[in-house]
Amino acid sequence: MIITKKKDFGELMENLRGYKSFFLLGCSECATLCGTGGEPELAEMKKALEAEGKEVTGTFVAKTGCQVLGTKVELKPHKDAISKADCIVVLSCGAGTQSAVELYDDKPVFPANDSLFLGNMTRLQMFDERCSLCGKCILDKTGGICPITACPKGLLNGPCGGCKDGQCEISPDIKCAWVRIYERMKKLDRLKELCETTIEAKDWAPSQKPRTIVAREEKKK
Amino acid sequence: MSFKDILNSKKFAVTAEIGPPKGTDIKEMLHHMELLKGKIDAANVTDNQSAVMRICSIAVSKLCLEHGLEPILQMTCRDRNRIGLQSDLLGASVLGIKNVLCMTGDHVSAGDHKGAKPVYDIESVQLLKAVDGLNGGRDMSGNEMKGATDFFQGAVVTPEANPLEPQLMKFDKKVKAGAKFFQTQAIYDIGKFKEFMKHARNFPVKVLAGFVVLKSVGMANFLNKNVPGIRVPDELIAEIKAAGKEKALDTGMDITARHIRQLREECISDGVHIMAIGMEDKVPEIMQRAGLL
Ligand code: SF4
Ligand code: SF4
Repeated sequence: MIITKKKDFGELMENLRGYKSFFLLGCSECATLCGTGGEPELAEMKKALEAEGKEVTGTFVAKTGCQVLGTKVELKPHKDAISKADCIVVLSCGAGTQSAVELYDDKPVFPANDSLFLGNMTRLQMFDERCSLCGKCILDKTGGICPITACPKGLLNGPCGGCKDGQCEISPDIKCAWVRIYERMKKLDRLKELCETTIEAKDWAPSQKPRTIVAREEKKK
Repeated sequence: MSFKDILNSKKFAVTAEIGPPKGTDIKEMLHHMELLKGKIDAANVTDNQSAVMRICSIAVSKLCLEHGLEPILQMTCRDRNRIGLQSDLLGASVLGIKNVLCMTGDHVSAGDHKGAKPVYDIESVQLLKAVDGLNGGRDMSGNEMKGATDFFQGAVVTPEANPLEPQLMKFDKKVKAGAKFFQTQAIYDIGKFKEFMKHARNFPVKVLAGFVVLKSVGMANFLNKNVPGIRVPDELIAEIKAAGKEKALDTGMDITARHIRQLREECISDGVHIMAIGMEDKVPEIMQRAGLL
């Protein structure tokens, strides 16, 4: 899921300076799980804005904020509340925020959150980054552990000289990705394969932005 | 004789380091070049070491050439993508720089521009392959170039890495990628280094053992605690302690000289790499004590 963090309220208020009334839009998927854009956060935001003397014309938690068409349909009943508002404040990820931008081209839309990474939830509201969406997965070669993401340098052929007692150069709290990969491949009895394969310089073209894909056409291929 | 010829002729090679300064005042650095000229076989020119921004290693390598010191150009993958790296390599080549040391490079978070975007488009193994390609007249995309490079390329290794096995895997990959020589992280335990050399001797590569002179007990403890892949044994710390504060540095230099002498006499390594870290003026004396001058 997409991991988000609430923006500092002072920063948000600075961005909203000059506007008086707001429509608040959340998302029931990632942002709800992150505690940044579900019903409770919308209620909290409404209270906080009202305490600043602002008006909230309405609130809604979209089912899936990054789904543009679905969100459009869901927002129809809120047409009046939205038209009354000076602007829309979105409590989801950057993708959800831009769904609103696409749907309301005559209204300012502001993000209430910072979008951080694609994360795995390892415990309640604890998230780890494990995939950087590089466009060409190499987990097949690295025992299922992604060095592009788990190694701060994204090294593809083994540890750097900074690994200290199995921990990463960048932080003693993180285990070196390459020590993890090595141990796992050893356990899987695939060490020979790991040691004998030099992974070539990565083709970054598939991660060229912005990316678009038409899945139904991919299917035909 | 060039650095490459010295290694290939089985002479014991000695390299040291020239650290480019931050800023355009190069007086002190030129003084260090003067000190080392005619004594060492080549000088590593560090590439924004510890991710601290300084004069670029290519410019300083060229200065080395002008001042009669053969440079080993250090190149890290932290600050340039494959286009930048290859282009800089071609530039280095036409400036007469022959030796290149391919490294991954310390992360930007260690340096003085912590908000910089780290590049790491490729890494040390792939950079070695790229150098090999340029030597063969082709760039990383396979395009044929007008004129090839003629680099003598090396890499680094940490013989006391913990755990060691993944480090050895990378060492092997670097050899396969075309590394001709290796300079090691500082070593303090010759017995353990011999173990590493048993592995390295399986390959047709030259190994220069790295040395950092111990200045004090405090420094030894600091290295043990903070620097990856360095382990100063208790006996050496005791030896420096016993010498007393006044003679600590002198004893540290003696230890380094003694180790170098042993490596040479027992033909354990093909040479040594002395990292002075601010004590460039002591390098000739260490060499003298080791019987190299
Ligand atoms: S290699 Fe890593 S970043 Fe790329 S798709 Fe696979 S998990 Fe994601
Ligand atoms: S210590 Fe390991 S995880 Fe950290 S940067 Fe080096 S190779 Fe990557």
